[in-house]
Amino acid sequence: MSAEIAHETRSDMIVCENVDKWFGDFQALKGVTATIAEQEVVVVLGPSGSGKSTWIRCINRLEAHQKGTIVVDGVELTNDLRNIEKIRSEVGMVFQQFNLFPHLTVRDNVTLAPKWVRKMPKTDAEKKADELLEMVGIPEQAAKYPGQLSGGQQQRVAIARALAMEPRIMLFDEPTSALDPEMIKEVLDVMRDLALGGMTMMVVTHEMGFAREVADRVIFMESGEIVEEGTPEHFFTNPTEDRTKLFLSQIL
Amino acid sequence: MNEPTILKVTSRPEEVSRSPREWVRKNLFANIPNTVLTLVFGAVAIYAIRALLGFILSGERRWGAVATNMRLLMAQGYPADQFVRVWFTLGSLMALTGLTLAAWRAAGRLSIGKISIWVMNTGAIFALFAVIAPISWASRIGWLIAAAILLSIGLGLWFGLRGEKKRPSGSVPTVWFAFGLLGVLVLSLWTVPFGHYAFVEGEFIAESGRTVATSTKLPFTVMWLILIGAYLFGVLIRERIPGSRAKGFLIALWFLSPFILNWIVLRDPDFDYAHIASTDIPLALLFAIGGGLALYLLSKPDLGEIGRIVAIGFLLFAVFNWIAAFFGWYPMLQKVRISFVLLALAALISPNFASDRKTRLRFVTGWIVLIAVSHWLITAINSPSTLELQGPTYLGGFSLTLFVAVLTLLLSFPLGVLLALGRTSSMPIARVLSTVYIESIRGVPLITILFFFSNILPLFLPEGMEIAELAAIVTGYTLFSAAYLAENVRGGLQSVMRGQYEAADAIGLTTSQRTGFIIVPQALRVSIPPLVGQAIGVFKETSLVAIVGAFDLLRIAAYVVPAQTEFLGVKREGLLLISAIYFIVAFSMSKYSQKLEERVGLGER
Repeated sequence: MSAEIAHETRSDMIVCENVDKWFGDFQALKGVTATIAEQEVVVVLGPSGSGKSTWIRCINRLEAHQKGTIVVDGVELTNDLRNIEKIRSEVGMVFQQFNLFPHLTVRDNVTLAPKWVRKMPKTDAEKKADELLEMVGIPEQAAKYPGQLSGGQQQRVAIARALAMEPRIMLFDEPTSALDPEMIKEVLDVMRDLALGGMTMMVVTHEMGFAREVADRVIFMESGEIVEEGTPEHFFTNPTEDRTKLFLSQIL
Repeated sequence: MNEPTILKVTSRPEEVSRSPREWVRKNLFANIPNTVLTLVFGAVAIYAIRALLGFILSGERRWGAVATNMRLLMAQGYPADQFVRVWFTLGSLMALTGLTLAAWRAAGRLSIGKISIWVMNTGAIFALFAVIAPISWASRIGWLIAAAILLSIGLGLWFGLRGEKKRPSGSVPTVWFAFGLLGVLVLSLWTVPFGHYAFVEGEFIAESGRTVATSTKLPFTVMWLILIGAYLFGVLIRERIPGSRAKGFLIALWFLSPFILNWIVLRDPDFDYAHIASTDIPLALLFAIGGGLALYLLSKPDLGEIGRIVAIGFLLFAVFNWIAAFFGWYPMLQKVRISFVLLALAALISPNFASDRKTRLRFVTGWIVLIAVSHWLITAINSPSTLELQGPTYLGGFSLTLFVAVLTLLLSFPLGVLLALGRTSSMPIARVLSTVYIESIRGVPLITILFFFSNILPLFLPEGMEIAELAAIVTGYTLFSAAYLAENVRGGLQSVMRGQYEAADAIGLTTSQRTGFIIVPQALRVSIPPLVGQAIGVFKETSLVAIVGAFDLLRIAAYVVPAQTEFLGVKREGLLLISAIYFIVAFSMSKYSQKLEERVGLGER
């Protein structure tokens, strides 16, 4: 499998071992074990409620796991606030609902964290923001407020905002699920460019085309467990597990 | 600001213009129940207006009681020879207003059509009054003539300047229209005989020296000129300085002005300069330079935990100073104690500024400004007053009402936001303390709190420490208002989506950055309507301070004026006047909040 090859040649960016997570009595993650290498693009698939979003949110500790270990870029996630801050400044995240700051302009959304977390001078931060907005294809919207943009544009701003911190890992939590069909492509294009540029990415999505084309590896989850993982060809053409087959037959 | 996107509109449906007759039929007499309602409520409205007009215009009314006592109502017993300070205060506010209007480019324009409609409406209302008011035929004709003049001015404007589309073209800047209206008001001071005047041999002669118009017409004219001059000056220089900097400076001035202007009203200008030179200035310099140096070192990026340890050391020392003060172990200037607290707090936040030289120098500059401002304020408050006044406080009447309301709002705002944050915080101690505070304050009537602070609190204070009555009132009122404000802000905080917290966390903001940049601004925006409602409440309920002995607007109108031998028992005129004053202020606040909502709604999804 490509994961093992990657394992040998590149350093590990995310290492999860036996991660358990409960919400009250409900166990959302059951012994999740996976390793994601540098520059690898991993797509996480699964039916709703399978724990994929919970898992990805554990990786920058928006949710705290209760058992097992998560090591991100060599730093273990514990309750130590400094570790969390360090990891959050190295892990970018893009949400399903964009979560842009509605009271700030697009440019301010992008420059806020570099200015205050990275202590970047204002002019440098704005220069960088303009470059990133150029990259995601909306340089002309910098002075607008998020509410004045379309969903696809907002999601691209959200990607630029995450990239402004120069993260080593990008997490995408269903980035296209809240978008109108004609806007999905513009967001996926940006993500594809990012993957080609060598970013380590972990993507929760229902976009099978994206998974097939861009992913190095596909992980399939159900009921909080990793059921099957492998290269896209293997996964889509020749799955081994029955549950995977059932899922694929339902969505394809 | 960006340009709004212009959408291509193929064709807009014609606006249906309705004749007045159709409008009346559709809205007032559409069917039988509608007609009945229109007639009943029309009759009630006419009766009420007639009663009110009858009251105002009745020959029994002695409006002279109000006009003559205007000084009492506005400033109570403030010594007449010191009035120049009051005028200085008002003049400063006028200058600030003018500069602010210029800096914010108050570019609104009023169309001539709108103005002419207003004028015509006023004329129509006058005519209506003339018809329904219970007055003599002579004055009725006078009213009708006034109405006719207004109507013809309105019609003249409408038809004289009529452009291509049925409405008059052209417009005037709103600012200048407002200046013009104020100018008319000021002019009325020169021409209309307010107060005690008699008509002798074709001339109005002052009967006694107590009229307001004669003594204030010159100052008010100067105020008007200052307003216009400041505006023109602002327009002249606004192109030469960066807008954001000028605006920031003006906002700072507005926030500081209540404190500084109060000092000007309260204090005698010739206080002990020797003490200032020998103690106050060296002390301020010591804290500015020494503290600045300490903060510069403490914000070194590679300092690590040592910075926090030193800061906690500072804090412990600062707290110890206060404990020592309470038990009287050793003497120390209050200013030094407060400055140590400030230094400790600044040291605690210094790791947030651990960055390049420029950021740290900016941090130190902020510290020096803080020391300058705080030392100035403490000096101002500590220096003794040489104004000798009758009555319990140096302020009274409308100025007291305004003073208490403005200061209470300014002080309770940050406190309320902190309490709201405390109540929603995840730290149990902050949450419990804030909740207990809010709930216990909300369980006690305002009057009780005012009594407590003005009468009972002085008994608990340590030996030699006194609290001025007005300070006690403002303190109590602030604590009260903050609890309510906190609940309003909490409502706003709860409306901020969880995703906003997560997004802020995900980009690596610290908790305080998240709160200050993301959560509180959005919460406040949502809370504007309840916050303004509360501001109006705070303003109106200042009338309760009369109960603890302060001479506010209500007390003077209800008890002081009717007790004068000349106007014995003349109470209703004053009450009606102060109702109008309260209404005008409250209504302006309400209108302003609508504007504010529109403006901040810009980025709304």
